[in-house]
Amino acid sequence: MNAQLLISGVIFGLSLGGIFFLMSIGLSLCFGLMRVITLDQLLYYSIGAYLTYTIGLLTGDVWLGIIGGVIVAAMSSFLVERVVFRRIYERDLAFSMITSFGVLIGGVGVIKYFWGLIPRPVPAPIAAQVNILGTDVPSYRLVIIGVAMLVYLGIWIFLNRTIIGKAIRAGTEDSGHVEGLGINVYRLFTITFIIAGALSGLAGGLYAPLIMVDPQMGLEVLAFVFMVVIIGGLGSIKGTLISSLLVGQVVSLGSLIYAPLAQMAPFAVMLLILLIKPTGLFGSTLQKR
Amino acid sequence: MNIVKWWWGLLLCFGLVALGRVFLPLPFAIEVLIFSIYTMGCNYLLGRVGFISFGQPAYLAVGAYAAAFYFFYLGNNPYLGLLIGIVVGMVVSLIIGPLFVRLRGDYFALVNLALAVIIFYLMQKVLANVTHGDNGLWFLTSLTATPILDLTRPDQFFIFAFLAAFALWVFYKYLDDTIFGALCLATKMNDDKVKSLGYSNFNIRLVAFVIANTTTAFAGAMYAVYLGFVSPAITGPERAADPVVVTILGGVGTLYGPLVGSVVYTGLKDVLSKVLGNWELVIGFLLVFIMLAGERGIWGSLEPQLRRLFTRKAAGGVSQ
Repeated sequence: MNAQLLISGVIFGLSLGGIFFLMSIGLSLCFGLMRVITLDQLLYYSIGAYLTYTIGLLTGDVWLGIIGGVIVAAMSSFLVERVVFRRIYERDLAFSMITSFGVLIGGVGVIKYFWGLIPRPVPAPIAAQVNILGTDVPSYRLVIIGVAMLVYLGIWIFLNRTIIGKAIRAGTEDSGHVEGLGINVYRLFTITFIIAGALSGLAGGLYAPLIMVDPQMGLEVLAFVFMVVIIGGLGSIKGTLISSLLVGQVVSLGSLIYAPLAQMAPFAVMLLILLIKPTGLFGSTLQKR
Repeated sequence: MNIVKWWWGLLLCFGLVALGRVFLPLPFAIEVLIFSIYTMGCNYLLGRVGFISFGQPAYLAVGAYAAAFYFFYLGNNPYLGLLIGIVVGMVVSLIIGPLFVRLRGDYFALVNLALAVIIFYLMQKVLANVTHGDNGLWFLTSLTATPILDLTRPDQFFIFAFLAAFALWVFYKYLDDTIFGALCLATKMNDDKVKSLGYSNFNIRLVAFVIANTTTAFAGAMYAVYLGFVSPAITGPERAADPVVVTILGGVGTLYGPLVGSVVYTGLKDVLSKVLGNWELVIGFLLVFIMLAGERGIWGSLEPQLRRLFTRKAAGGVSQ
């Protein structure tokens, strides 16, 4: 394997890791605060991608499409939280998992109804190439890495430096106590849900120019999102970042060696890590209340 | 004794199934029976051991593909194929069991679902030259007829599926009455106490895991024999929730839950998707609706009422 291939492989892996981070951070945030598993994040991911396609087609500006995708994804996650999740916060874990899965599958049906079955291409907003160490790299991939880093920083500042963020962090530890302080925990739940949905929409919008947008796209990345979340540890933001970068590299470099490895290698890594540490790298020991 | 009582219940229940054979179309009846066997394992894991097994389609696919490989490449005796499906299912769950049963409930659910998706990719893409990818393996015509209970004929297959389901029900009911059954419930309620009594939580969970998944693999092998072909769609991501949903719909941990749930779920799926046409939309909203409707499921909410009805009758008989 020559150096050029390796460098482009690493950059590819980093941008893939950034996308994985944005995709799975919503699931991780929601589990951390509310102890529900929200597979419907993958629906907001598809919604973000589809709106990027449609708005990009209508206005000719993909960036505008990504912004629109984020907004609509956030709105639909707000709707789902109000209509569905409000009723199952108190229930067993199986309920949130199946209900969110139902929302995801039903959402795929809705997408098929509106946009049809045909995969749609989205043009890349930046076509320029950047030269890094003698290798030409598409600068759009660098943009993705940058956005993912900014989002991580933003979440960190939000959770550690703002009063709402501090309340959310306190809620993950002991929601009864936070309620006792006169803070409306359900409002915190809603805020977290909207943030999670918006980030999933952002992942879809950013990823859309690199792949074809099709109705099954949410289900296709399902396995990767699980692996990222499990390797990093449910509910840990730092863990999600590290494991998404790890899985991105494993997928990218694995597919350079032998193409089918891209699907299987992260699974092997996950089993290995679970063998050593059953709660993932940074998993909390908190149980469902 | 207790035994006499539940025998009556089982006989009544399966009597109704046999009666249903007269009114319902044959494919529907067979589908319900196989589906109820499929759900039985999940029901046991969720109701008795407390594991949310979201990856049950993975074990279904293991059984189905084990049988399919045998039929397609090696031989054509349906009974041998079923046996191979069961054995391979047992071996696979013995291999991955020790790793999986150590996990906490939420991780167990996610890792299982990841396993189902991975097996889907394995069968669809990675092993495509063995499994023929999305086209699947076809072997319906190559199955040979067997002298007693010819499995290649649907009406005789129904009798076989009926007997198999009945035998499994008796087995699971018997399991409930053994010490092992009690220990399974105990690990779900309070695993520290089980440990202090000198039993190993790990062993109990492992045995329950293997039993349940072998049952599921058996259902997979039955699908292979009945349909005569196997494709990756059997473990597709959009079907991952089926067994857990049927379990909850029927009533978690109840004896007749899987059967009641299978009848209702298969029926609803058939009727609604025929009327509306958009299969995903139907499944999605069905799942959300079932989950929001109630925790106890159909049989779970029906059972206390039936019991009250029967005990009142019995008490009335004594007083007269």
